[in-house]
Amino acid sequence: MKKYISIFLMRLKMETQYRGAALGGILCQMFFGLVYIALYRAFYAGKPQDFPVSSLVTYVWLQQAFFRMLLAFDSELGEKIRTGGIAYDLCRPMNFYGYYYARSAAQKLMGSLLRAIPMLLFAMLLPDGWCISAPASLPALLISLLALMTGLLCICALDNITMGVTMRTIDPKGMQAMLNLLMMTFSGNILPLTLFPDSWQKVITLLPYAQLLDAPIRLYTGEWALSQAPRVLLIQLFWLAALTGLGLFIWQRNQKHLVVQGG
Amino acid sequence: MDTVKLYFRSMKMLLRSQMQYPLSFILQTISQIVMTGGELMAVLLLIDRFDALNHWSAGDLLFIYGMMDITFYLTECFGRGVTGNFAALIQSGGLDTLMLRPRGIFTQTLCRAIDPRRIGCISVGVAAVIMGANLASIEWTFLKWAAFFESILLGMLLILGLFLIEVIFSIYSVKSIEVVNALTYGGRSACQYPIDVYPRVLRLLFMVVAPFALTLHVPAAYILGKPLYGWPDFTAFLCPLAGAVLFFIMYLCFQKALRFYRSTGS
Repeated sequence: MKKYISIFLMRLKMETQYRGAALGGILCQMFFGLVYIALYRAFYAGKPQDFPVSSLVTYVWLQQAFFRMLLAFDSELGEKIRTGGIAYDLCRPMNFYGYYYARSAAQKLMGSLLRAIPMLLFAMLLPDGWCISAPASLPALLISLLALMTGLLCICALDNITMGVTMRTIDPKGMQAMLNLLMMTFSGNILPLTLFPDSWQKVITLLPYAQLLDAPIRLYTGEWALSQAPRVLLIQLFWLAALTGLGLFIWQRNQKHLVVQGG
Repeated sequence: MDTVKLYFRSMKMLLRSQMQYPLSFILQTISQIVMTGGELMAVLLLIDRFDALNHWSAGDLLFIYGMMDITFYLTECFGRGVTGNFAALIQSGGLDTLMLRPRGIFTQTLCRAIDPRRIGCISVGVAAVIMGANLASIEWTFLKWAAFFESILLGMLLILGLFLIEVIFSIYSVKSIEVVNALTYGGRSACQYPIDVYPRVLRLLFMVVAPFALTLHVPAAYILGKPLYGWPDFTAFLCPLAGAVLFFIMYLCFQKALRFYRSTGS
């Protein structure tokens, strides 16, 4: 376990080196956030919904702030398979799956924190009706942070499954694009899950994609009361175990069939 | 005229080379259809929940969304040389080779790439336009068709012009600048919906700086029979010219920027 933690910590430090690159992304993300909010406010003006516009605004800001977590940006692995560099990784005295898991967890955590903090500060300073609202209560904030961390682990497990599935084709772009679309749609990034038809809610909130950001955000805004928190965490833990198990299985099978390209 | 012929010739050649891998082409086109289809689904779900947006009905919204889609992805298909990764051309020193040839740099950049997979996205846009036009029961006249095609053509010039901003920046800074995406991709996302639902700052941005409202919304509103801000009909034909103006300005800036170009030497 210790070696995975040290990989994790090393990556965390590495990720802080790219502060400049984060700036452009933050500005873009803020702009998109403002556009979405303007649009939803206009829609709301015509036909108000059950849940207040302020929680929708909060939803949008939190989605934009932690957007980086959803991006699968460890393109290095594909490159390594193509060039044959993967042989080095296989020589490391640790589990291949665990190595990549720790790496992407660190990348996602630091990458999104670097962006989320300035973005949330900006979102707090906006005028009423545009700004992010405070959490429903202090326990709600704590429990949503816990859910966010579990969600982060779920994303890493999901990403590893995507990598595992595409590892054996040399050009995985098409497949990755499809899986990414599924992720963006059902994690609530393209359209908040709360705006999906009410009849769909029961199913889509159970999907693994909803555990990543949607569940923590709903706990934060108080749309899901504290009494529901154990249920939400249980669903998250179930998916975490299932996704990690599936990922491990795929990777271990791949490892036996892996063809190292080039040299 | 010669240049146009050259452009179509290279497009034909590029197309033929891309069609050498038919299976990969088909799969990627399908994945593009699914991806834009996902975006269209979001619009449909919004319409399903809210019925309408101000005075714009479901049909109007779909029609405008579809027009934006067609315009944007046609540009990405035929202008791939500009909208693609121009910074890579500078980083690799590939621009130097273009300078040696007896043709304009801009022509050559345009002739470098085509992206036929975009036909998938375009077909989703066409489907949205047809659905929207039926729902909004548009009565097509010759003038409305003219406005439709003028809007798409000049909208393409506008988008090319906006992507040229990124190209110009990358000539100076070697790296590509992410912030410009707010104008291009951000403009696409925002202006898929009618401009008059946005607050004043965004309206000004998309009227004056990146005039999507002038090339797209004014003619679309005319076609739908709900003139934007009650402007007279002739504005539907006049306003889109803003796209050509912006393109022309950016083209001049591009030529100017090229004089500052310093090869990276690699």
